[in-house]
Amino acid sequence: MSGFFDSEVMQAALFPALLTALVASSMSVMVLAHRLSFLAVGVSHATLAGLGLAVVLSLPLLPTATVVAVLVALLLTPMPKKIGLNEDAGTGMLFAGAMALGVVLLSSANKYEVDLFGLLFGNILTVSDTDIRWLLLVAALVLSSLVLAARSWWSIAFDATTAAAGGLPVTGLRLLLHAMVGLTVIMCVKLAGIVLTTGLLVLPAACAWFWGRSLGSLWLLSSAFAISGTLLGLMFSYQWDWPSGATVVLTLCSMFILSWGGSWLKHQGPGHNRQA
Amino acid sequence: MSTPVVSLSHINVGDARHPILEGINLNLEAGHFLGIVGPNGAGKSTLLDVITGLGPLDNGHVDLFGRCLRRTSRRRLLKKVAYLSQMHGAEPLLPLRARDVVAMGLTSYNAPLWRPAASSTKITEALAQVGMEHKAENDFRLLSGGQKQRVRLARALVREPALLLLDEPSAGLDTEGQDRLYQLLRRLCDEEDMAIIMVEHDIAAITAYVDSVACLNRRIHHHAMRGESIPEHVWHDMYGDHMHVMAHDARCIGCHDPEDK
Repeated sequence: MSGFFDSEVMQAALFPALLTALVASSMSVMVLAHRLSFLAVGVSHATLAGLGLAVVLSLPLLPTATVVAVLVALLLTPMPKKIGLNEDAGTGMLFAGAMALGVVLLSSANKYEVDLFGLLFGNILTVSDTDIRWLLLVAALVLSSLVLAARSWWSIAFDATTAAAGGLPVTGLRLLLHAMVGLTVIMCVKLAGIVLTTGLLVLPAACAWFWGRSLGSLWLLSSAFAISGTLLGLMFSYQWDWPSGATVVLTLCSMFILSWGGSWLKHQGPGHNRQA
Repeated sequence: MSTPVVSLSHINVGDARHPILEGINLNLEAGHFLGIVGPNGAGKSTLLDVITGLGPLDNGHVDLFGRCLRRTSRRRLLKKVAYLSQMHGAEPLLPLRARDVVAMGLTSYNAPLWRPAASSTKITEALAQVGMEHKAENDFRLLSGGQKQRVRLARALVREPALLLLDEPSAGLDTEGQDRLYQLLRRLCDEEDMAIIMVEHDIAAITAYVDSVACLNRRIHHHAMRGESIPEHVWHDMYGDHMHVMAHDARCIGCHDPEDK
């Protein structure tokens, strides 16, 4: 495995991959708490429309995809929930619509301009210096928002009515959260691709959910699972020449199963009492 | 005369064809414990939403602590208000200790991460007020319905509010728990000068503790002070002619004693 750390390609991929893991795992706590997994799926697939637009109009890929992802995430907030059209239905519609637009746009592009496999399943090994600068900017925005609003988001996830009655601007904070999910999706698409992005945005917090007992401990555990899962995934990917994004997501899936099993065993232990 | 904690003037919610609240006028002084009763769909929860600026207000004026409740003043005024909403049992199952739930009630909780969020002493005191200090470190998800409701009440109390709004707070509590809750609320009014508005279905259960009862069904049909009877036609106006008024407790606010006739 020593060749992994000597490999120039892996050395270049390590920083953006771990940065993505840190940001995605931090947001994944909010994605799980606010039940936004399907929204993350929708936004990640909607980036195909952004990438299609960028290819057809010769715009920079990541910035264009970022704008589209954030717009789609924000469009899902004002859905008329009282008549039953919530984010869930909205995601279904935008997911399909944006994906269809992306397919139409990309079909008119020269096939050599588009690395479709890389878009769908990610390729962190081809990240450029410009991409890294863009990822750093996005990471700074998401982490700053978390520092400012994490506790408010947590409070809203637990009980939005009481949070609003206490004076919190719930609608504004939800808009900010959706925009940050959109930004995080862009980071993940580079590592895991459109199809596998949800794995990075759900699995780290899902692993931590068995062990954390507060926002702080969940955040720490989620980051630890994501960083170790990404590192291990990249190692396996290098060792067996597997696609990097898929291997990272598979590693995180294995960690989830282990975490679930460990938690189950813990609750079977002697003297354990689940009753209040 | 001191400034009322809450002052509602000519509150109207809904349109003329589908009114939800009509012509509500109400003043509440510090230390006053008001119970609101009425049938389902009477607008009880809507009234609490109006007081916190959560609900739509088509007409009228809300003053809190002598200041007009506006979009710009709302956040500042609500720092002194705590609200315990109806328990729906649909809260997401977040991994939280009971003390973390209570911490969410502190106004400092929503500050950026570099500022300390919680006062450990205040949280312990609030949990002790509802008899849940021994469950502070327990997983909130694994508490019983009644225990969860007590922790939610502690989250409201930790704010040390001047005005406490409660929407069916006894849901999930057994009879003993209900009595303890009402005694605690009575004590908070008497000792802390807290003003309380409590929506409940069961007038008989709250009558020994509250200072007055407002009978609400779109409009306030009657506002009975302690020791005052509520005319029988008020009950019929609120609940319809199929109901019968029965006296069952001499202490009951608004209940008729047949011998009074």
